[in-house]
Amino acid sequence: MTKNGLTNQIRRHRFNHGEMTQQQLADRVGVTRQTIIAMEADKYAPSLPLAFRIARTFNLTIEEVFMYGDEQSPQQQNPGA
Amino acid sequence: MNRAYKIARFTVIVILASCVLSGTACLIIYLKLGLAKAGAGLAFLGICGLLGLTPFMYRKDRGKVWCDERDIEINRRAALIGFCTAYLVMGLACMLPFFILGPRGTASVQWLPMIFMGGGLSHYLAHSVAILVQYGKGGGQ
Repeated sequence: MTKNGLTNQIRRHRFNHGEMTQQQLADRVGVTRQTIIAMEADKYAPSLPLAFRIARTFNLTIEEVFMYGDEQSPQQQNPGA
Repeated sequence: MNRAYKIARFTVIVILASCVLSGTACLIIYLKLGLAKAGAGLAFLGICGLLGLTPFMYRKDRGKVWCDERDIEINRRAALIGFCTAYLVMGLACMLPFFILGPRGTASVQWLPMIFMGGGLSHYLAHSVAILVQYGKGGGQ
């Protein structure tokens, strides 16, 4: 979890989308690979526009990729949905 | 390891090396020739001129994006730390003689460019150290 309480499921969604590499995701959303690494390690909380770009890359809503505090993503709450 | 990290690492090495060398030279000259000529040892600070080569030594990283919002944020925080440090150093350099020499004391104007140079060096050093600390050991890997 980052200092401001943000966690994410980027790594899981990358693998769910044809095992997309960190570099491929970075190129798609317009950041460096190091930033993707930092986000996956919960060391960096992205800006809101970047969070939206990442979510749209996976065709998901922002809540499905990023969680605040101890809350679970909608997919984790409703695994069958 | 990205470009900003490499430049910051090179900056820290060059500034520390020049400070150590000039400090040692000043001490040796002071012991051999006296205080009047000890300032000649500061010539070793000219090594800091190597920092002008960094744009040629470290080319932009390959790939579509070589600088993003995280790099900008890290650089912004590092610049803030650098300027705060420079302000502190210049403030101390101006106030300490006042308290040491007293309100009626005098100081040579030769100190003025040294204070300016010290402020600049402390800014570059603090800026670079802040970048290294924020990227961490792996340099952003």
